Amino acid sequence: MAAAPAHIESWAGVSTPFVDAKGSCMKKMVLAGLMALISAASAQNVPTLTVITHDSFDLDKKLIAGFEAANHVRVRLIRGGDAGEMLNKLILSRANPIADVVYGLDNTLLPRAEAAGLLTPYTSPASRKVPAQDRLGPLLSTVDTGYVALNYDRAYFAKAGLKLPASLDELKTPAYARLTVVESPATSSPGAAFYLATVQELGQDGALVWWRSARQNGMKVTRGWSQAYNQDFSLYGGRYPIVLSYASSPAAEVFYSEGKLKDAPSGNLFLPGSSFLQLEGVGILKGSRQPALARRFVDFMLSGPVQADFPTRMWVYPSVTGVKLAEVWKFAQQPDVKLAPAALLSRAQALTDLWVTEVLRK
Amino acid sequence: MSGERRSGPGRRTTLLLAALPLLFLAAFLLLPLLRVLGIGGASLGILGQPYFQGRLLWTFWQAALTAVLALIIGGPLAYLLARYHLPGKGLLLRLLLLPFVTPTLVAALGLLSLFGPRGLTGLDLSETPTLTLLGNLFFNLPLMVRLGYAGFLRVPPSLNAAARTLGASGWRAALGVSIPLAWPGLAAGAVLVFLYSALSFGLPLLLGGERYATLEVEIYTLTAYQLRLPEASALILVQLSVTLLATVLYLRLAGGAGAGVAVARTLPRPRGRAALATYGLTGLVLVLCFAPLLAVALRSVSGRAGPTLAFWQGLFSSELGNNGPSLGLMLGNTLRFALLTLLCSLLLGGLHALAAFRSRSRLLDLLSLLPLMVSPVSLAVGYLLLYPGLRAELPLLIAAYSLLATPLIVRSVLPALRAVPVQVQQAARTLGASPVTLWRTVMLPSVLPALRGGAALSLATVLGEFAATLVLTRPEWATLSTGMYERLGRPGEQNLGEACALATLLMLLALAVFGVLDGGKGEVI
Repeated sequence: MAAAPAHIESWAGVSTPFVDAKGSCMKKMVLAGLMALISAASAQNVPTLTVITHDSFDLDKKLIAGFEAANHVRVRLIRGGDAGEMLNKLILSRANPIADVVYGLDNTLLPRAEAAGLLTPYTSPASRKVPAQDRLGPLLSTVDTGYVALNYDRAYFAKAGLKLPASLDELKTPAYARLTVVESPATSSPGAAFYLATVQELGQDGALVWWRSARQNGMKVTRGWSQAYNQDFSLYGGRYPIVLSYASSPAAEVFYSEGKLKDAPSGNLFLPGSSFLQLEGVGILKGSRQPALARRFVDFMLSGPVQADFPTRMWVYPSVTGVKLAEVWKFAQQPDVKLAPAALLSRAQALTDLWVTEVLRK
Repeated sequence: MSGERRSGPGRRTTLLLAALPLLFLAAFLLLPLLRVLGIGGASLGILGQPYFQGRLLWTFWQAALTAVLALIIGGPLAYLLARYHLPGKGLLLRLLLLPFVTPTLVAALGLLSLFGPRGLTGLDLSETPTLTLLGNLFFNLPLMVRLGYAGFLRVPPSLNAAARTLGASGWRAALGVSIPLAWPGLAAGAVLVFLYSALSFGLPLLLGGERYATLEVEIYTLTAYQLRLPEASALILVQLSVTLLATVLYLRLAGGAGAGVAVARTLPRPRGRAALATYGLTGLVLVLCFAPLLAVALRSVSGRAGPTLAFWQGLFSSELGNNGPSLGLMLGNTLRFALLTLLCSLLLGGLHALAAFRSRSRLLDLLSLLPLMVSPVSLAVGYLLLYPGLRAELPLLIAAYSLLATPLIVRSVLPALRAVPVQVQQAARTLGASPVTLWRTVMLPSVLPALRGGAALSLATVLGEFAATLVLTRPEWATLSTGMYERLGRPGEQNLGEACALATLLMLLALAVFGVLDGGKGEVI
């Protein structure tokens, strides 16, 4: 359940040239391959700090290299899948931790990580610059914030002369439900966040009723963000002009049009109870053999250069105040939502199970 | 001959040969699987729930339907290709390997470009089971054609000619002589198609939506997202028993298929109705298997505003930009992993085939197919728990790739070994050839084409599939296919376009590999 607008299928690349094996002859390649095998297996003098992230993690590799040089450490990055998958892997292997540091757990997953006893507390001095209401407590330091939100295809609605829906109630009617594609709460981070938002707005039973009737009226539920956005969203040839994505997606559309678009082709549809504030953090795993270096990595993630670098890579806001955002962010809006209460978040897993049995398998 | 093969030293050699491949299977398949099943047992109770019964039925129904359709379309074409001369036949057979390497995501994108809501064909099949079936055919029809073709080649043309001389029509000769003789091969192909479709994961994941999810998709969801391992285990057990049954059936059928030797001969050009059928079926298969790929290639050069080269330019300049790993890194990794996997799977598969050939053991034969029967998703959890030292290390990645690639080598080499006539081997020995000379001058040259075909397929699994998702990966391991997934994980036209360009590049690379390795005649699987 990654938070950035990149999900199960995403493999954001912080690429350090591992072994460049573009050798001209086969022999060279075999040799290079064997060398890589050996070098991967052998320990080096420099200590290694292992950092596990969700697949959407993306940071300028020069920044990581800078951290390595300053701290005489080799940073070994591991991709753990989408954030929900990553958490499960961490829980399964907690007796023998995979990594020293984890980045990408968010406020919806923190209660489960806490219950499983995965994390060790650390309060970074740098988190003083994070607004108090955005802090996640001693186990996880907030690195970034983002909004899960409905987007709509502006050209479609303009051409059809259709009014946008004004409430969740209206969205679930046949007229709009058949225009809407959302991600499954069971297999996708934005899906889970959207579901929690509906529970907060309509109550547990009300939300289940809403999902059942929206589905009956034609709302499509897909597994992950990539399917919903790249396959089903009308902007990319799909059938549905309303899609569950992020409030930052319209800005990303402009950014990735390579200067062709002067305005966003999609817009945000902030219905009451449809948006969710997601806080992603970095934390130290219990059992880390490099606690001192791990703490420095947490500080590093909250440092100015890192906070300024990732917004146009992961499409989330920096958590630290006073970081200047790129011009393109003017195409993203921020909905007026508060952080979901702890009482709701601590039930996230149970609520998802309920959705699976009461909505999906009905 | 079997008598001397089973004597003491012979058996010891066989055991020695089989030791490495069997150890590998134990370490990377059996133990991880048992570890997962052992975590919480299997809550078989969920099999009583209507939801899971529906999943079960749909999974095996769509697989059976695909197998029948593949047989109906692929069987006759294989026959005609084996009987008649067709310009560019070698190229066609080689091209048919392409769908094998196609990442499921590319296939899904291609199919939706054709049959999506605003598809090129104008026919909207999205959210229908038809789309899943078309996807299944896209991946499996080539398999059926190639297998059937190899089967029909082994039917001596003299038999067919005799039937014609005795007054049988072309149809009668085909129905009465060729098809019964080639039937085991055809049926084995159909069972294999069933097996592949029953275990298919990526395609139903991407095209099926929540409604047409298969067992493997449910296993993935229960394991990776919901951490309900006992429920996943119940599904794993059901899946394993069905695939095991199908595999035993496949081996029985395929055992009868390796009877004759392919004979080189000059073929007549098809005329009249035969020509119509040949060209018609070829056209149909070409459309089913290549239209989706062409659609993706087309998408890599067409943007919202019309034709564009921006996506390709973006791809080649991404060394400078901030759009993920560089093309050089992805290309280098893809080739490196492919080569390492090829070496491992050639060694393991070669040894396994040799051992199975020498011992004539059905069990060894069956074991070689095990990786095609077991849910890869469940193995991932086993690796995580069993081998902490190998987590996110390259050897585990290569082992996972090799596990999936090795069966393809065994399936290619073993039938070829068995097809070398016993008389030829005996003649060589009688004329004084040492065992080494026999292997060097007779056996190896006879199996070489099959070995090359198998190698091409095993490379294909690495080029195309996201087996990498089985293990924890590292950003510096980016390959062409992971780079594609990464781009599809971000919004924006440029990302989608570059993903399509990467997919096109992957196809071209695969074609080059096949051109080098496979002459179009490799009797694969």
